[in-house]
Amino acid sequence: MSPIPINLATEDELSEATLLRILRDLDRYVVGTPYRRGGFGYLRRTIHGWNSAARSIPFIVLTDLDVCECPASLIADWLTAPQHPNLLFRIAVREVESWLLADTVNLSRFLGVPEREMPSDCDNLADPKAEIIELARRSRIRAIRDGIVPKRGSTAKQGPDYNGLLGLFVRGGWDLKAAAAGSPSLARTICRLTVFNPAWTLP
Amino acid sequence: MIISRLVLKNWRNFRTLDLQFTDRVFVIGPNASGKSNLLDVFRFLRDIAKPGGGLQHAVDKRLGLSKVRCLAARREPDVEIEVELSEEGAEARWRYAVGITQQVRGRRQPILRSEKVWKDGRLLMERPDKDDEADEDRLTQTHLEQINSNAEFRDIARFFESIRYLHLVPQLLRNPEAFQGPSIPDDPYGRNFLEMVAKTPEKTRRSRLKKIEEALRQAVPQLQGLMDTKDDAGIPHLEATYTHWRPHAGRQREDQFSDGTLRLIGLFWSLLEGESPLLLEEPELSLHSGIVAKLPALFHRLQRKRRRQIFVSTHSGDLLSQKSIGGEEVIMLRPDKEGTVAELASSVDEVRTLLDDGLSIADVALPRTAPPSLGQFELFE
Repeated sequence: MSPIPINLATEDELSEATLLRILRDLDRYVVGTPYRRGGFGYLRRTIHGWNSAARSIPFIVLTDLDVCECPASLIADWLTAPQHPNLLFRIAVREVESWLLADTVNLSRFLGVPEREMPSDCDNLADPKAEIIELARRSRIRAIRDGIVPKRGSTAKQGPDYNGLLGLFVRGGWDLKAAAAGSPSLARTICRLTVFNPAWTLP
Repeated sequence: MIISRLVLKNWRNFRTLDLQFTDRVFVIGPNASGKSNLLDVFRFLRDIAKPGGGLQHAVDKRLGLSKVRCLAARREPDVEIEVELSEEGAEARWRYAVGITQQVRGRRQPILRSEKVWKDGRLLMERPDKDDEADEDRLTQTHLEQINSNAEFRDIARFFESIRYLHLVPQLLRNPEAFQGPSIPDDPYGRNFLEMVAKTPEKTRRSRLKKIEEALRQAVPQLQGLMDTKDDAGIPHLEATYTHWRPHAGRQREDQFSDGTLRLIGLFWSLLEGESPLLLEEPELSLHSGIVAKLPALFHRLQRKRRRQIFVSTHSGDLLSQKSIGGEEVIMLRPDKEGTVAELASSVDEVRTLLDDGLSIADVALPRTAPPSLGQFELFE
């Protein structure tokens, strides 16, 4: 079967890296353009555009659920037009960081913290990103502490190389199978991507 | 008149390129993708056509044909440049094409492979001609640069000659004396900007400064009474008052102006300066994002009476978020194994669909020209 061409739309570097890693492991897609702009509201503002562009090339949009109640209501809220069958709209519960935390063994090794300190039931963490930063604060590896944790007293929400370091983990150390076993939200996304069968015509 | 079309072969980053332009062109792309090199082709034509210029000068200034030629090109092919000039929206009035190669033996000078001029679709001049065959040295010069030969198409030479490039460096404008050495021809960095302002006829100068002050009020509302003056030594200066200072604080000279203010003054001045194409490098530098977002509108206002074609290279999301910028005005550069690919944003179906759906250039075209992010390499290799 020839690979399925697909475009991505994400809101931050880590989501993009995570999605690219998943697609790479599934080995049935070829990525065209990864659309990404930082800042809140990019996807919400552009979702109708991706939805209609999906007519000619399949699209995956990945966003975080954050404080929203449930994925279905988020989709209904964002996308008022009918969703095109070539558009896959995936929502990480609550954040893409939960998916990384779900691979307890490898992430604890990467962050340099004992495995017993890792949280369980990742999809139900209220603030998975804060969880990663808290873990990193206790890391025995200096590069992890300095890169991921914001300076004491700062209003910054993440350290200077948060995306870079976690991107490194996502690319290399992250075990997708182990993570899917720990996060139902990730397992559902992988499942959808495995059976996703969009119709497209080559330009 | 505007440059309505550009065709290139083997020019710097570009192995091939064929683009149509409107009277406003934004060039976007990652660092080192060739934004400045694209603008440089217009400066090259200017260097050929200007008084004291010429083909040899234009190539020498760029340190030889090997520096101008596309690195991705095999062997040593010709560099070819073709431009069409027209009134906006009309058929091409002029077409000028030049092919350049290097002498195989002897002094290895750059020489013409061909030179052609069309007017209203009719071929007016074609080289090499019989005289060129008889005397090969003639091919070291274009007809464009020669008053004896360009009588029929001098309009083209004048047009190229008047192209202006601006990449104003505030520090240079503020402290011209601190930078030793001969000044750079055409003063693209604004070292002699104040001198140039002073040399402008008084009526024009006053009227321009007044317009600039009005436009500046959007960015620096406290600046008032912008005018030019000379100090005791006869050196020209710009002066203004800042209203939030003490009422009799006295006037401030340009050495007290902020980088952003100086850049805006230079930018606005050049917009008012003529009718020929203006090449602007990253006008967003030193400016607050709120002002950057207003630049397209300010440009428009300043050019209500006379419109000069502008080519703007930019990285600014604030600028490109403006819904008034159309896909037909944006050139996207994408580095590729075979050199840089240049595409008009509206010519890419996907981009067009997304723009039609109300997304902005910043939403659609900027991510497409962004440098590869984490993990992306592995997918493509």
